[in-house]
Amino acid sequence: MAQHFLEQAKADDFVAHLMKRHPVLAPHRRGRRSFAFEQIVEPSAVVLDYPRTLGSVKKFFLPARETLLEFDLGTNTATAPAIAPAPAVYLGVHSYDLAAVRRLDHNFLHGNPERNYVTRREGALFIGVSYTPDRHHFAGSVGIDPYDTTGSDIFLTKHPEGWIVDVLTPAGQDLLKGFKLATDARPKPKREHFTQHIYVPQARLNEIMAASYNHPVWDEASRNCTGCGTCNLVCPTCYCFDVQDQVAITVDAGHRERTWDGCMLRSFTEVAGGEVFRHKVAARQRHRVHRKFKYLSDATGQPWCVGCGRCTAYCTAGISIVEIVNRLVRDAEREEQVTA
Amino acid sequence: MELQTLKPGLETRELYVPEMAEITAVRRLTAMETLYTVKLPGGRDLGHRPGQFVEVSLFGVGEAPISVSSSPTRRGEFEMGIRRVGMLTEVLAGYGPGRKIGIRGPFGNGIDVEKFRGKDVLIVAGGIGLVPMRSMINYVRDNRDQFGRLIICYGSRSDTELLFTDELAAWEKDPRVEYHVTVDRGSEAWQGRTGVITTLIPGLDLDLPNTVCCICGPPVMYRFVVLTLRGKGLPDRNIYMSLERRMKCGVGKCGHCQIDSTYVCQDGPVYHLPDLAKLREAL
Amino acid sequence: MANKPREASKPKVAIFDFTGCEGCELSQLNFEDQLLDILAQVDIVEWREAMDDRADEYDIAFVEGALSTPDCIKRIHDIRRRSKVLVALGSCAVDGGVNAIKNLHPIEEVRQIVYGEDQYLFPTLPALPLSAVVKVDHNVRGCPMTQIEFLKVFTALVMGKKPIEPDQAVCVECKLNENECVYAKGMICLGPVTRAGCNSQCTNFGQYCIGCRGLVSEPNLQGMAETLASHGLAMDEAWKRLQLYNAYRLQGVRA
Repeated sequence: MAQHFLEQAKADDFVAHLMKRHPVLAPHRRGRRSFAFEQIVEPSAVVLDYPRTLGSVKKFFLPARETLLEFDLGTNTATAPAIAPAPAVYLGVHSYDLAAVRRLDHNFLHGNPERNYVTRREGALFIGVSYTPDRHHFAGSVGIDPYDTTGSDIFLTKHPEGWIVDVLTPAGQDLLKGFKLATDARPKPKREHFTQHIYVPQARLNEIMAASYNHPVWDEASRNCTGCGTCNLVCPTCYCFDVQDQVAITVDAGHRERTWDGCMLRSFTEVAGGEVFRHKVAARQRHRVHRKFKYLSDATGQPWCVGCGRCTAYCTAGISIVEIVNRLVRDAEREEQVTA
Repeated sequence: MELQTLKPGLETRELYVPEMAEITAVRRLTAMETLYTVKLPGGRDLGHRPGQFVEVSLFGVGEAPISVSSSPTRRGEFEMGIRRVGMLTEVLAGYGPGRKIGIRGPFGNGIDVEKFRGKDVLIVAGGIGLVPMRSMINYVRDNRDQFGRLIICYGSRSDTELLFTDELAAWEKDPRVEYHVTVDRGSEAWQGRTGVITTLIPGLDLDLPNTVCCICGPPVMYRFVVLTLRGKGLPDRNIYMSLERRMKCGVGKCGHCQIDSTYVCQDGPVYHLPDLAKLREAL
Repeated sequence: MANKPREASKPKVAIFDFTGCEGCELSQLNFEDQLLDILAQVDIVEWREAMDDRADEYDIAFVEGALSTPDCIKRIHDIRRRSKVLVALGSCAVDGGVNAIKNLHPIEEVRQIVYGEDQYLFPTLPALPLSAVVKVDHNVRGCPMTQIEFLKVFTALVMGKKPIEPDQAVCVECKLNENECVYAKGMICLGPVTRAGCNSQCTNFGQYCIGCRGLVSEPNLQGMAETLASHGLAMDEAWKRLQLYNAYRLQGVRA
């Protein structure tokens, strides 16, 4: 569809225009050197040129904590709280996080489409933004380019003087109504390169993963792993959750709450009676990586890792998913050479 | 499978609100296990297959997956055999008739009884694995002419832990049931066979191509039972196993029961052995 | 019928203290909004810090502080005998807490340093968590005890169910709260091995976790120490950080 240009000087006006239409959620500074999606109050607080946010937009569709039921212990009855549709503009989303939303969509749609997720997700409009890969991004290795517009209603490509605006859907077109953008076409900047790579395509990775079950890398990579679950919790495609009942101090009511869970946590595979199925951290590490590159891709044909680099960037022990995968690739290829 | 995408007008489901059902009877089976009879509103049928499970919900306590123990042929009520392990079952142990509990389900694939119809049915149940298998056993007994022989191999840790003892006695007497039982350690009163469950299998006289088997029991049991059945010459394609474990949400969302690329709560708990062989962490 | 207990059978609750700063009890008195709701659920039959009454038996005993004298040992046995459920309150009672740092030194030396020439009047022992002497049914961790955890344990016990003890790292709650990682700020943090349940309240306020809620059940201590070292601490210093609240549990783990 149409292409326009947004000058840097008009960026705040553009945000203010969007805010007249819908609540707008965009990256803001958080802490000393991090970023997080928040609802915009002040357009100038938005940061469109950022490496990655702490969490992805997942938190808006699958909140970190969510009430599934409210119950009354006096009458022994429960109701599900009404979930209001949440039309909103998600501004400044990177292509890998949009790819992650498509994967979450799949999980919450297939089989039993879940009302909670779908209700929140339905009103979402996305304005994607290009980014410059840093030392942790490797989205290119899973087929997601920094300029990939898939899933965006509007896409902003960084340009020295502002942003090239691609309008991609009728909903995107509609969002721009009443805001004047320059129409001069400008050449898109040169593509930027990733510094992190996984060295084989997904199809090959499936085979390598299948043969990696007893590989020493799981133990080696887990040496300093505390099983803290950070890699799961910051992952934009991790959707696992736990459910617990919380009771009010008056002991007459309460709510059933779901919270994000993670397969790196010891309690994840604990069942009634106390047995833990994946007891060793290394087994959990293998499960996590296999889930990203094998188990879910076996089922859907898509890698469940989108190359955002969060799990590696935020691991205090410095465990790198790219290094784990490339180690498996290297060893598999070496073995092939030997047998050849 | 393609990635499912959001489309306008998509019909969604309320997945997490249980229906309130009434406990109508409670029968103590052993020191650890109790059988609960439960009635849905209006006496509506649960509409389950043998081998399926429900999520039992106690507000303020939580939810737990519990397998259905009664046959679908039993109308108006269903039964659950529950072992006291964990918080929910502990609290439930204090509940008597008249109490209401939440039920979601039935969930899971259950046993495809068509695969068994017209065949000799071999059930191998270890310990609490008899609870879901009882649903299948009673289904076969209630539709007796649609199946060939009904052979039951049941193993328990000790004779004091045998479940459904009155029904076991009835199976023993029934000329159309071939019932075999063994216990790992018998009390002084025990006059039956002693030994692990696999010792029941070599002596069976099976019409191999015409026998379909379903196994359910503790995780350690599966491998040895399968090895023994293979030794006997039963082909893998005639073997199904129910993995009663790890399920949490029941609707394929929460990720807990994932084994390789399958969800136990969706693709299981009953697996065809040739499929299971591909799943590394299943056994 | 409901899952709520009947009014007639209000549990009898008692609160005791041993060696500690009594901060946990003070934080109980500090409930303000919830105190009346709490009192409505139970009969408090013994609490030195707030009342004079005494009783013989308790449905629930909340016990604060570590055990550090022969008299403590006698008293805790007595309390255990009279309590149906015993809950350890706060880091000292659960893990020995900072008291247990003294265990790293010979006891005679400790007595000499603390009491000087009066040392023989004070028969101090190495500090012990309650669980080293009697069976503890449930824990409320933290220094001072985590209020939200106390409320969870309390409501569970009033309902007659077993409280769920969290066994995840503080990192879990910290990530749910989408905090910037303490390490990203150039500080070090014990969150990766410290037991959650506090809703990461320190890191929510930009502080680092000092580990006051004790360790998760299977901590990778060597891994944690290496991580601390890779972020600039000397190895000895890294272990000292881990020992602050875990000196009792870490006895013999590393010299």
